[in-house]
Amino acid sequence: MQNKLDKLNKNYKNAHYRINPKENTMTIDLTFNDNIASMKIDGILNSENAHILQEKLGEVMQSNATLLELDLLDCRNISSTGIGKILLFYKDFISKGGEIEVVRSSNSVYELFSMLKLNQLFTVNLG
Amino acid sequence: MSNKAKILVVDDSIAIVNSLRSILGISGYDVDTAYSGSDALRKIHMKEYDLVICDIEMPGLSGLEFLGKVREDFERDLDVILMTGYLEHDYFIEAIRLGASDFIRKPIDTKQIVSSIRELIFRKRNRDDKTEFFGHLNKANFCFEMPAKNFSKVALSKIFSSYMRQYFKVGSKVLNELLICVDEMVYNAFIHGTLNLSLDERALSHEALQELIELRLQDPNINQRKVKFAFVVDNLQQNIEISVEDEGDGFEYQNWLKSVKKGQFLEIDGHGRGIAMLYHLSDKLSFGKQGKSVRIVKSLVSSESSNA
Repeated sequence: MQNKLDKLNKNYKNAHYRINPKENTMTIDLTFNDNIASMKIDGILNSENAHILQEKLGEVMQSNATLLELDLLDCRNISSTGIGKILLFYKDFISKGGEIEVVRSSNSVYELFSMLKLNQLFTVNLG
Repeated sequence: MSNKAKILVVDDSIAIVNSLRSILGISGYDVDTAYSGSDALRKIHMKEYDLVICDIEMPGLSGLEFLGKVREDFERDLDVILMTGYLEHDYFIEAIRLGASDFIRKPIDTKQIVSSIRELIFRKRNRDDKTEFFGHLNKANFCFEMPAKNFSKVALSKIFSSYMRQYFKVGSKVLNELLICVDEMVYNAFIHGTLNLSLDERALSHEALQELIELRLQDPNINQRKVKFAFVVDNLQQNIEISVEDEGDGFEYQNWLKSVKKGQFLEIDGHGRGIAMLYHLSDKLSFGKQGKSVRIVKSLVSSESSNA
């Protein structure tokens, strides 16, 4: 019972922390495991929230990570501002020997990355 | 098309999901199921539901977190009933604060949940009357004009999303693509057209960019500029026309259009990706007034691009 309540309390705190009606409909979870940074983006990445991505990518750049795994399965679309942030990061990251891989992506994002030929720069997996 | 209300039941317990599916099916509802908050989120963005019934205690995305995301994405347009085995006061308050439509205690009282669903569906049908009104029109025309100084106070794509969700039946994929188009058009009208920020300035950190924007807005010539945003939903043609106009200097759009038509999109340091995306996501893309206005037309039926 106590464990259940602890878990609920954790979830409650997370929910409380994340909900802000003026914030945009996008969240980013970033975790590090040895030299791998895993970033999961949910929602629509647009000009109003691309700065959050910029900050998270900055954290990856400052870390020892040599591989950034992007999970974009629940990312419903990305604007050109978001793409711009990813490309600027890509340029700096490969110059220090890093790699990017999109481990999962939604249909929309996969189509977008193909259209913009980003799949020529790094691996983009669908689904 | 079935007139049955569509309900999504979300619980990591297969037994509870099956039980609710059976109860609600007998009560005349069209029931779909999900076994996690993440699955449920995916489903509500793929299909249209009248109501979601969701457990609070689930591994991964909890019911409260799910509710928060629903309120961010759908505002109050989608009702969510939360279920829990524990009626902790704090969680109850938090669920209400986040906008839970009702709160059901497990084990589930069949009469209570069916009564709650009936009431919520009744209210939703009343809200849907507005959608029906707009469905009877040939065209609905919305036009907004905003001074530059107020621009950063409003999330126009969110307002647009709210209008589209409330008044028009648009599939999630089409709506997501429209939201990206609106973002591209409006952002460029403000950052490039109105404020005339360079590519380097746009790449500044968020804080530095905000400071620069504030500084530019103190210039009376810029401060008085306006951005016009309009959209026309044409029910006969089953499409939407969106246009944005700024009072900046315009730009040489012809060469950019030629490039995107040739498929020359990718330059890491370059720009023009926004135009490429508008071209890709719409059925028609055109510019006017020396590049100060941009217009797209997109089918509301299919997301297949037929840009020529």
